[in-house]
Amino acid sequence: MSILMQSLISGILIGGVYALIGIGLTIIFGVMRIINFAHGDLMMLGMYGTYYLFALLHVDPFLSVVITMPLMFLVGALLQKGVINRVLNALPQNQILLTIGLGLIMSNSIMLAFTSDYKILSTTYSSSSVSLHGISISLPLVISFAITCAITAALYWFLLKTNTGQAIRATAQDREAATLMGINVRRMSILAFGLGSALAGAAGALISPTYYIFPQVGSVFTLKAFVITVLGGMGSVVGATLGGVLIGVAESIGGAYIGSGWKEVVVFVIFLLVLLFKPSGLLGKSRT
Amino acid sequence: VKHYLSLALITFSIGALLILPIFVESTYLLHIMILIFINVIVGSSWNILGGYTGQYSVGHAAYFGVGAYTTMMLMQFRHIAPWWGVWAGTAAALVTALIIGSICFRLRGPYFVLASIAVAEIFRVSALNLKNITNGAEGILVTEIPPLTAGKIVITDWTTKVPFYYTGFFFVLLIIVVSVLVRRSKLGYYFQAIREDQDAAHSLGINPTIYKNTALAISAIFTSLAGSLYAVYVGFIDPGTVMGLDLSVQIVMICIIGGIGTILGPVIGAALLIPLSEALRSNAVTDALINAGIVNAESKTGAFLKENLAHAHVLIYGILVVIVILFMPAGVLGFFRRMTARGRRAA
Repeated sequence: MSILMQSLISGILIGGVYALIGIGLTIIFGVMRIINFAHGDLMMLGMYGTYYLFALLHVDPFLSVVITMPLMFLVGALLQKGVINRVLNALPQNQILLTIGLGLIMSNSIMLAFTSDYKILSTTYSSSSVSLHGISISLPLVISFAITCAITAALYWFLLKTNTGQAIRATAQDREAATLMGINVRRMSILAFGLGSALAGAAGALISPTYYIFPQVGSVFTLKAFVITVLGGMGSVVGATLGGVLIGVAESIGGAYIGSGWKEVVVFVIFLLVLLFKPSGLLGKSRT
Repeated sequence: VKHYLSLALITFSIGALLILPIFVESTYLLHIMILIFINVIVGSSWNILGGYTGQYSVGHAAYFGVGAYTTMMLMQFRHIAPWWGVWAGTAAALVTALIIGSICFRLRGPYFVLASIAVAEIFRVSALNLKNITNGAEGILVTEIPPLTAGKIVITDWTTKVPFYYTGFFFVLLIIVVSVLVRRSKLGYYFQAIREDQDAAHSLGINPTIYKNTALAISAIFTSLAGSLYAVYVGFIDPGTVMGLDLSVQIVMICIIGGIGTILGPVIGAALLIPLSEALRSNAVTDALINAGIVNAESKTGAFLKENLAHAHVLIYGILVVIVILFMPAGVLGFFRRMTARGRRAA
């Protein structure tokens, strides 16, 4: 029973970070209908940024979210403005390959710059844990979960209450109608990609104290991000939040009961089942 | 006239490639040629599904890996010669394709792409974890390939690269002939109809499920042949190299860069990408730059290039893909066709 509780709780905590990655991808998909295969690589950039801020300037990894988020927003906005805006009307497969290509460029440039060695960001509290009724929970996970909740809450507020947020949602709902209502759709796309990248960067910063940092780390998270967004329903922010937590729990429980080598298979099997039986996802409306 | 010209060109290139190993001593060149052949085979077989039928599978490493693993496991653990094992590999790939097809072809567009990735990843992780069958992450190393004999005469004992060269070349010719036949047959028109508009094709009586699965079956069989050839030639496989996402992506890139949905596209794609990435990997580019006097070997740049350029071949892939998609969406072949057409119009 305590194993179940233990894995359930750590699953929920890590699921918070997954939710951030998923929300970023789903916003990008919602606004532009592009599946961003470079999403995990954007997150990897966030991890490296955090690592070097810590190693060179001794900025606490959780504090550095304040720096990585705006930086990654800029990276994403520039990518959208310079490259991705050009293929908005291209074939979907070409869009996919373009983002794959961008991801390869990012991960391999990082490899050239910083070698492919694994880096570990160890803070004074990296291995400390909190004990609760016989269940021990890693402290960095708890902090990152708290920050995740704060970021998600701020994001919901932004999307629901501000004019810009509503414009982004309107663009996601219907591009043409949004244009007719006087919304600058191109600017919304840039904003959306920036926002998605910032969230990926934040996820990278938050996960870096508990995860290995290496140039190819992105592809693992890209795949996870897909699973999360499809599970929640492509384009649904609430769905991605839920999907992130669900995948975190599924991984953690699968790892505890079936063996850690198989936990990815558990995730992919869930993914295929959702695709087959409820392709619109848990909270999605349509398949297109 | 144009028809005869291309016929002469084809005959000439086949002839030249047939006699190449007789005149070329360099094993390195043969090695590059064999790698190109393997990539032409996978590219062309992907093209049947992705190019003609419009189903962008990014999980073709599954069939490559299933072929490679079946052949290698039969050879190393059961002592069955690879030229028999290869066919077991194609059978295994066919079964795999039918299972994957029945799952993934219910989905369209980006959902199909994602599902194909997921299935291939399930295969990779399974190969990694089923240690008692596949040897897990350690992979399988070939210790000895049995000599191929006809009666008492030894045809080849596989010690040089030449037999692999001809095997690869044979399969290349085979897949190209199959591609041409498919494209010109009724089957090929069905495939293209599904690519252009699945619903319209369906309403005209073309059953999309059956024909998508047919395309996948052909594609999977040849991909598995390429996988087996790769495995026996290189002599070592592990789940990451023969079943990884990188391989699936590389297969798609060969077609996109060359020109998707054309017979020659995958050939051009492989002939461009493989020498380029091999040159970078083997440091040939750096050496050439140093020898030409452009970069000083002792200088900081020289040392940096020597150290790092070998790892950069994937970076070049990435840059190429971005350039091709932004500026030549119909691939290199399509780009040149448009250029020559424009030139003719101007003249």
